Amino acid sequence: MIAAAILVALGIALVPVLAPYDPTAVVGASLAAPSSAHLHGTNDAGQDVLSQLLVGARASLVTGLVAATLATAVGFLVGATSGLVNGWVDVVAMRCVDVLLALPGLPLMILVAALVGPSRGTIIAVIALAGWPPIARIVRSQTLILARGDYLQAARGLGAGRLYLVRRHVLVALTPLVAALFASWAATALVLEAGLAFLGLGDLSSVSWGSVLQRALDQDAVYVTGAWLWWVLPVGMLITATATGLAYLGVALEPRANPRWQRG
Amino acid sequence: MSYSAAVVLLVTLNFFLPRVLPGQPLAALSDPRSSTYVGDAERRAAVEEYYGLDRPLGEQFGGYLIGLARGDLGTSIRLNVPVQALLTERLPWTLLLVGSSLSVATLLGMFVGIQSGWRRGRSSDRGLLGLFVALDTVPLFFVASAAAYVFAVRLGWFPLSGGRTPFSDSWGLLRQAVDVAHHLVLPATIMALQFAALQFRVMRAGMVSELGSDHLALGRLKGLPEGRLKYRYAARNALLPAVSVLAVHLGFAVTAAVFVESVFAYPGLGRLLFESVASRDYPTMQGVFLLLSAIVLAANLAAELVYRRLDPRAAR
Repeated sequence: MIAAAILVALGIALVPVLAPYDPTAVVGASLAAPSSAHLHGTNDAGQDVLSQLLVGARASLVTGLVAATLATAVGFLVGATSGLVNGWVDVVAMRCVDVLLALPGLPLMILVAALVGPSRGTIIAVIALAGWPPIARIVRSQTLILARGDYLQAARGLGAGRLYLVRRHVLVALTPLVAALFASWAATALVLEAGLAFLGLGDLSSVSWGSVLQRALDQDAVYVTGAWLWWVLPVGMLITATATGLAYLGVALEPRANPRWQRG
Repeated sequence: MSYSAAVVLLVTLNFFLPRVLPGQPLAALSDPRSSTYVGDAERRAAVEEYYGLDRPLGEQFGGYLIGLARGDLGTSIRLNVPVQALLTERLPWTLLLVGSSLSVATLLGMFVGIQSGWRRGRSSDRGLLGLFVALDTVPLFFVASAAAYVFAVRLGWFPLSGGRTPFSDSWGLLRQAVDVAHHLVLPATIMALQFAALQFRVMRAGMVSELGSDHLALGRLKGLPEGRLKYRYAARNALLPAVSVLAVHLGFAVTAAVFVESVFAYPGLGRLLFESVASRDYPTMQGVFLLLSAIVLAANLAAELVYRRLDPRAAR
């Protein structure tokens, strides 16, 4: 997994060197079919699609990972604290989570993003906003189980503070679970980034997979001319492959998070 | 209790979001220098009147609540018609799309989930699990666009967009119904695939947890036929969690409807939201948000009540 992470990081760093053209420069005819000069053809403005895909990977992956990190961090902190601290803090936190979970996520995200105005920061913020409540709920229920364990009681008896408990015991014990939640949320965040961009709420100043899709699907010509095959299909496959990979990673990490599932 | 809190939060959120979010989105509507300035004087006046920004906040909130009680959601900036009229016009289409796809998906997902869970660990189960995890993650707007390209453009089996053929009002009733169904097939199928994936996973997990149960072992010892064990013994209990997630699916359905309707230009609430985002039509966006959230909350409440009847243990 570490090797894969290094590979991805290296790929992201090298992308500007690998991309054959400037993704925003007009370098060919409009909607040119794939050729040796443009392996994935060009878009309606005559920009090189392959370069856009390579450069767009960076914005998409960074957005997805940052949003998932934020969601997981907030979700973990709220969930773990809520699980350890009984009383009104727990009640208030879980009521907030319940209410947020009851509202449909996407319309809320769209409303907030449209009101604030599209930017990379807005997108990251709204995805994280939608992500932390379910994570907090799962982490809380696992923390409650942990809190009943002998060693946590012992640590508490020895005078350990709550922050220390969260950091040294809960975080360590729940690392596999948090990793699994992070992986599956990174998948969701990646798809959401593209989705929000598709709905016209993406960052217009930078190239991302979402912005490529949005531009392509905005016009009917993409279907009729066959540009769909070299313009929409590759972006869609990239998003799908990356998201599915992350989702499978999450599923694969689940048994480690919950040893009960390993039996049978 | 939780639902009344959610409704209060929803109504309050809908009022405060446009007023407290950074960038002063509402003030920008009447600022000639901003990109969202409403050029048309009559429409600008309508928006300013609806939001009432020159009045004190308490008075604004009171006016908003009274308007809400009367069903007044303001006037669409883009179309210059009452938001309420737009919502009533679009709602039936979304109900048709979500209703048809959810019912097909529930049956399909449950049936396949029963089969897969019953054969846990065998290659057919692992194949189905992998397939449905993938279906669950594939971006909907991409699948929808792929289906549009293959089945509408290349094969020409279905119309590319819309909910009905334009100017088909004069057609006979049967012909109109067939036309609407014809437009429904592609978007509904795409949505159904994703719901089926969710339903499949819950149903399968329920079946798997039933596999080692005592009453199943007893039934087997009695020599009951396989089919009876599968459906009457295991699936019956596994059905409970599957029913309780149905309402959760409605939350996903709203998300799915926004994407699928946008791709197919299907005339429902999701498409309305998409169109109003493009023109920064805040009153319409807020109206759609409010209506969709209210529907999801109501469905959640209904599901909880049904669940209590199905499982007496939950009532306690």
